[in-house]
Amino acid sequence: MAAGFNWFLVLSSVFLCNLVKTFLPSISSFLSKIFHKDADQEMEMRTEIQNMKMELSTISMMDEFARYARLERKINKMTDQLKTLVKSRTAQQAKMKWIVNIAFYILQAALMISLILKYYADPVTVVPSKWIAPLERLVAFPSGVAGGVGITCWLVVCNKVVALILQAVS
Amino acid sequence: MEAGQEPESARSAAQRRAEIRRRKLLNNSEDRMNRIVGFSKSDADSGERAGVGVLHLDLDHPEWSSSSKRASPADSGVCESVSERGVESAAVRSLSADGERSASPRRGLQAYLSRFDDAMKLRGQLANEKAAQDSGAQPEELDAFRIFRTTASVTFAVFVRIFVCQYLSIFAPFLTLELGFMGLHKYFPKVEKKPQTTMLTAALLLSGIPAEVISRSMDTYRKMSDVFSDLCVYFFSFIMSHELLLLFGSHTA
Repeated sequence: MAAGFNWFLVLSSVFLCNLVKTFLPSISSFLSKIFHKDADQEMEMRTEIQNMKMELSTISMMDEFARYARLERKINKMTDQLKTLVKSRTAQQAKMKWIVNIAFYILQAALMISLILKYYADPVTVVPSKWIAPLERLVAFPSGVAGGVGITCWLVVCNKVVALILQAVS
Repeated sequence: MEAGQEPESARSAAQRRAEIRRRKLLNNSEDRMNRIVGFSKSDADSGERAGVGVLHLDLDHPEWSSSSKRASPADSGVCESVSERGVESAAVRSLSADGERSASPRRGLQAYLSRFDDAMKLRGQLANEKAAQDSGAQPEELDAFRIFRTTASVTFAVFVRIFVCQYLSIFAPFLTLELGFMGLHKYFPKVEKKPQTTMLTAALLLSGIPAEVISRSMDTYRKMSDVFSDLCVYFFSFIMSHELLLLFGSHTA
């Protein structure tokens, strides 16, 4: 019974890989949010800058120039700090995206290689050989079983179909 | 009388010296500017020949002017020289098209650089497109004909599995189906497909292949890709229906 569902196992693996690939940006942004510790500080700084700007708008530059200049300098300083923080966060996000992508592609490659090794000699499914003539050898590669559907052919077909379905859904 | 002539000659000598100094300064400035712009006089000429808008400094008319700018009627001499250069440039272009590009490596290098500029522009365009895609735009929309093809492939695969495959190979009906698609193509509204700028296109353009040939090749490639997609959908549906029939057949048995 289990041998009859080889095609389904390969199909579900390919579907899972493509699905995860679609959600890679979301996963990387979620992970970068988890690992980013200065998010609260950044929010605090943003609020503080907003408050100071509001306060600055209430001060008359003519009457209280010294106070106005002091506050403006403070705002500028804090804005610079915020810029540095945002820059570091962006760099961290890019790094996280890169790591997630690399990890995913390594896992995908490992999965595909293990599937190919597992079904190298066995076809994922078998149909009468005259049905798929004259391409039966190509379809059966690398198993070499007459009328069999080889793992490589099935992987290619599944990848294409799953990509089409996901494109239509998204 | 002599005393009156002496200061005059001295003044004229001073004027001459000043004139020489002025010319020298102007020459120096021209040299400097050429060095900044990055080409010698022969380069500037060839730039004009190629019809590229390059800048050069004219000492007689000391303002920045573009070679692509029309010369005024007063400068008829300049006009003549420009027209001569135009004829010459056409000749040069035809020669280079005949394969004599290798005769002057400098011109070849310039042609390569201009192509490189084109490729860099394409790269910029590609980066913009990629940014647009990242921001949520769909890479390729599913048009009505695409949906029809997919649905027809699935339906036909099920039909072939149930009725046809006992008698002949599954690829023969698929070829018939593709022929049908080719015939039905004209009955569907034509979708203006945006020419996609890929790295492959940029590389081909850089290697000197004309844009028309590239676009035709890309069109053929797209058609082949469509046929491959249909084949994948057809084969997948066939195998799926076969497995489902086997499953339900074994259950009922």
